[in-house]
Amino acid sequence: MRVKIWGARGSVPSPGPETVRYGGNTSCVQVTLSDGTLLALDAGTGIRSMGLGLAEPARPVHILLTHLHMDHIQGLMFFGPAFDPTSEIVIWGPEAPDASLRDRIARYISAPLSPVEVRELPCHVSFNEAPHSEWKIGPATIRAASVTHRGPTLGYRITEGDVSLCYIPDHEPALGADLRDDGPEWISGFELARGATVLMHDGQYTSDEYSRRVGWGHSRLADALAFGRRVGAKRLVVFHHDPLHSDDFLDALQGDAVERWADLGGEPTSLEFAVERRELSVDRLPRSAASASATPEPRPARGGGAARGGGGSAPSRESSRSP
Amino acid sequence: MSARQRPVELILARSLLATLSTPGFLVDEDGIVVFFNDAASVLLGVRYEEVGRMGPEEWGTAFGPLDESGREIPLEELPLTIALRHGRPSHARLRIRSTQGVHNDIEAAAVPILTVQGTRGAMVFFWKVDEA
Repeated sequence: MRVKIWGARGSVPSPGPETVRYGGNTSCVQVTLSDGTLLALDAGTGIRSMGLGLAEPARPVHILLTHLHMDHIQGLMFFGPAFDPTSEIVIWGPEAPDASLRDRIARYISAPLSPVEVRELPCHVSFNEAPHSEWKIGPATIRAASVTHRGPTLGYRITEGDVSLCYIPDHEPALGADLRDDGPEWISGFELARGATVLMHDGQYTSDEYSRRVGWGHSRLADALAFGRRVGAKRLVVFHHDPLHSDDFLDALQGDAVERWADLGGEPTSLEFAVERRELSVDRLPRSAASASATPEPRPARGGGAARGGGGSAPSRESSRSP
Repeated sequence: MSARQRPVELILARSLLATLSTPGFLVDEDGIVVFFNDAASVLLGVRYEEVGRMGPEEWGTAFGPLDESGREIPLEELPLTIALRHGRPSHARLRIRSTQGVHNDIEAAAVPILTVQGTRGAMVFFWKVDEA
């Protein structure tokens, strides 16, 4: 399984000289399975560049949307294959009680926001609410699960052979849960991410920023690290960078995160911040590295421990070290 | 390794209850009490951490629920059971008994937790009648 990040910025595209290294495009990750099957995780503005790079637009492209916030669908209207009558696009996304996935996406791809309607797209496009159980796309098994964010939101796990990529770009698991002490069944996304070879996870805020944005649906970096360690992810890619975080700021944040990750028992080389256009190979880790990634499971209080809002009181070292 | 992953709606409901001063219970789709808050523990005389999960038959009798004449109310007539089994809100006045034997007359209002996958649990809020 090969992965290419086309956009890792959260909330709104943030182009400019201060974001040129980590990138300013919003969420989109290309996954190429062993047989060439193509997936796009989310359709933020990064999917425009992904479309430009595709050599064979005729083969199906499966777009797995985590949710329909603008920064995750804005690129749909600018995805080249959508305007190619020989191409096939299969869109998957969260179910909602008010309208079908197609109708909800059509709220964006319609007037006055768009000059083109969904029914006018030249490609062959279909819409599927993500099943409640696992399903197959090419040689991969896909699992979707609802996670804590504003509105219906999914995380995805793509498993091929014995490796797995878990993608939860917008997630606030510390909302109402203690990531260290609560029983795993009470931690949003735990089962989805457990033991993933690569976990791409929301780490948008510093602790200082998070204190003013609790409940907005995103994680502070400290919680992303705690979640990654708790689920035993072999490798953590911090994703959904805040639009106000410059390259220099993210460099400093990453340096601190690596130290904190090591303090939590993680391998320093198994943590990185998502960088636009970076390619990753999702491979099985050597046995020694894999065992170093295992996190002992703390024993929960009887009944799973008591929930408390706010996500505990992890120290905010990263904010004191950041520019 | 662990109990099954709870639906995110139940996780958030538990978080809400944990922060409220309104007494409240949370049950999962099987009717198992998976949480009650500190405000409820004042009326019940015991903290959730002390009793842990309780099945429907257990919680349906442990705290009494009695009618005004002191008759035990059948499980299927309790607001929480109605919310869970029929997917609609339910309200009742009833009497509960704490673990110390103290009786409190309460009003109970139960609401189902409906998701795109159907009913995944229910919450019940209750008030002492003299506070209602």
